[in-house]
Amino acid sequence: MIMNYLQTTSQNDGVHARQIAFFSAFLLPTYKLLEAPSLLARYAKGDLLLPALFHFFLQTGLLLLLLYASSRSEKTLLSRMEERLGKWSVAVYIVYALFFLFYAVLPLLDLEKFVYAIFYDTSPTLFSFAFFFILCGFVCTKGIKCMGRIADLSLFLFLLPFLLLLLMSLVEADASNLLPFFERPLSDTGKAFTYTTPHFSDVVLILPLLGNLRYQKGDGKKITLGYATGSLLTLLFLGVFYAVYSTVAPREHYAFAKIAQYFPALTIVGRVDLILVYALCIVLFFYTVSPLLFSAYCIAKPLKTHRKTLVAFCIALGAFLFVLFCNKYYNRIYELIAGKLFVIFYLIADLLPLSLLFLSKRKEQKNNA
Amino acid sequence: MNTSTANAPFERALQDNLQTIKKLLPSEDILTYEFETADELACALVYADGIVNKELLARLVASPLQSTDLTRLLPKKDGGRVEANEKTAENAVEKSQLFPEFKTVQTIEDGVNEILDGNTLLLVDTIPVGFISGAKLLPVRTIMEPPTDIAVKGPREGFIEDIKTNMALVRKRLKTPALRFETLRVGKQSYTAVTLCYLEGTSIQSVKDEIKKKLQAIEVDNIPDSSYISAFLAPRKHSLFRTVGTTEKPDIFTAKIAEGRVGILVDGSPIALTVPYITTEDLQSSEDYFISPFTATVFRFLRLISLFVAILLPAFYVSAQLFKMQLLPLGLMLTIASSVRELPLSPSMEMFVVLLLLEILKEASIRMPKYVGMSLSVVGALVLGETAVSAGFLSTPAIIIVAFSGICLYTVPNFVETGSLLRWLFLLVGGALGPFGIVLLSAFTLCYLLTADSYGTPPLAPFSPLIKSDLRDAIVKFDMQSLSSRPAFLRSKNKTRLKVGAKHDKSENK
Repeated sequence: MIMNYLQTTSQNDGVHARQIAFFSAFLLPTYKLLEAPSLLARYAKGDLLLPALFHFFLQTGLLLLLLYASSRSEKTLLSRMEERLGKWSVAVYIVYALFFLFYAVLPLLDLEKFVYAIFYDTSPTLFSFAFFFILCGFVCTKGIKCMGRIADLSLFLFLLPFLLLLLMSLVEADASNLLPFFERPLSDTGKAFTYTTPHFSDVVLILPLLGNLRYQKGDGKKITLGYATGSLLTLLFLGVFYAVYSTVAPREHYAFAKIAQYFPALTIVGRVDLILVYALCIVLFFYTVSPLLFSAYCIAKPLKTHRKTLVAFCIALGAFLFVLFCNKYYNRIYELIAGKLFVIFYLIADLLPLSLLFLSKRKEQKNNA
Repeated sequence: MNTSTANAPFERALQDNLQTIKKLLPSEDILTYEFETADELACALVYADGIVNKELLARLVASPLQSTDLTRLLPKKDGGRVEANEKTAENAVEKSQLFPEFKTVQTIEDGVNEILDGNTLLLVDTIPVGFISGAKLLPVRTIMEPPTDIAVKGPREGFIEDIKTNMALVRKRLKTPALRFETLRVGKQSYTAVTLCYLEGTSIQSVKDEIKKKLQAIEVDNIPDSSYISAFLAPRKHSLFRTVGTTEKPDIFTAKIAEGRVGILVDGSPIALTVPYITTEDLQSSEDYFISPFTATVFRFLRLISLFVAILLPAFYVSAQLFKMQLLPLGLMLTIASSVRELPLSPSMEMFVVLLLLEILKEASIRMPKYVGMSLSVVGALVLGETAVSAGFLSTPAIIIVAFSGICLYTVPNFVETGSLLRWLFLLVGGALGPFGIVLLSAFTLCYLLTADSYGTPPLAPFSPLIKSDLRDAIVKFDMQSLSSRPAFLRSKNKTRLKVGAKHDKSENK
């Protein structure tokens, strides 16, 4: 099986179900460790796990439907979509290319603030962050295959540092802070749910990978298990986060970078927890690049352009210019996207992919039989 | 070489052949020894002086021929009539010879190439073929333990410069008919022998074909060492990372061939190449397989940690001072602060100078004669280090960090060149962008390695793509019984390499 994979992926954009599972389990949770915990705590207080749980139920349902659609044919979802829609598939690709750019806005702005807050005691210039866009451009040229391999690597880069940080933070955690359950009114939970929609719209990021998967028996289980693992790890972090910070939680931005700092041994050996945080940051960087990569992919694929590098670097440059000019309006942009434009996420990230369900008939095998 | 003359077959007249060869090889070290058989048939030996065993040549080639009546050896038909034609004459010459390594060549070009390769060409009048005897006597050094690959436990033999000896060392360890050697000639002037070694049915054809294609495409005057071949085999010309494995030890070489890799031996080089290559190979040592798996795992982790320390420590030290003091514990921070307080150089500049000193000392100590090297280390350690600190040019922590980083890098000897360059790069970004730059460059390096496939093998395998079975011998080393299958990333068709409790084939046959 691995031989087939090595042979196919060396030539095209093929991904393995395991890689999608790892992407869901270890890459997707990283962004939820940045601003989402404090946002959830601001509206839902001790009930912050509830809106997160709703998000995960919604996304898991969507993922299961897409896996069902994927399992109905031996061809990939994207090739079936192209066959069915013909020239109109270009429009779908363009819509998703634009959507992924829109999707990347908040992670990019969040990452910029996070970098300045966590990596520096001094006040760095904006151009310090500009180098991140070189990485963006580079990854965007590498295609879907690269993201699959990043997902594999994230198992090692994410899991151990994350668990160690979580363990180290337990010394200050008081689980009773989460009690009583269902304390907040439903409207607050609802508000927390809508405000964090951009953070929890996961399946749309899985879609380009899933679209390139040649579905085999058992793939659905692997991917679902992967997403469930990612969700569980996120919920675990959210629980520990509120157990540590309690009422001050809404003001604790980028909590994962400082949650372990109260671990007693750190006073002797220094902030070695930052090494773990930095390892997680590598995964976070790759996560932030992923919507840009998928956008570049959606532009390059239908146009059959050989200038992938040009497309990739144009997108990276565009993203850089956006951050350069818009970082001042962070709060307004946040309010606009999370408070008003979250409907776009439901439409394009959740509802539009469901149309893939109507793409194909029964398995070709059965037709042949 | 005039190709039209060289490609021509041998003439019947001996003198014509000798004249042609003299024209093609006018050099004074090409000698000719002319003599006659017992039935007065003219013969000549053509050879390169200094690389031929003349005693053997005289005793086993010339002398038997001089005392032989060739016409007597020709087959006779009914009635005693001699059947004389080219084939029977060739056979007669071959019968007269006592030399075990004896063959015929049809064209002058082949004969000339054999002479240049150290063999001797025997020409006999009226017979239009050349006879080659392998009386080569090249000066070779003895087999010894390679200085770059020393093991406390395990075999100590190392390859030498002579390709035939190296092939023998490989054959000695792999006594199987599946072991194949394929020799190609590379280098327009040097005509160097480059031999592919592989196990038929274990190594994959596409890799062999790709290597052969690349070797045949090489147009270069001279191949002084295997590193030249390695540069031509690398899929990315400007890569900082190696894409071809190297070893000086036959035990490692044969182990890699047995796993399904293709080995390359180059005449004149003691360093053998192996393809495909993955980065984890650098962390493995031959000794890991001769000690307990637990100890081997600990050593591998040590090497991995040392590698990270070697590359990242100077960069983190600088970035901690400039951008993120929290990285250092308070006590250490105060110590560092007191030692760097009156330094004229900035932290990055200071580290740059110390690292530069280390690299210069390293380079000089390799090139210098041994007796000067001793005094150089005294000058380096005492005069430069101690005096620079007491004079207030450099701080003690910076020297300690660079020295420690330098030592750590040598735990992975095959990664020294790349690690050294990476250390500079990380220092540069650490000084300019702080920890963010270090993390960013790490991400960039990983991303580069993730997609830099060579010969269809990802360099970060078995971690990415994740290959569960191959993780048993990556960083964590499992016991021998668990390593029953060949590495999956090599895509070998013959997957099983070990069967615990399986009866030996021979005993089954009985």
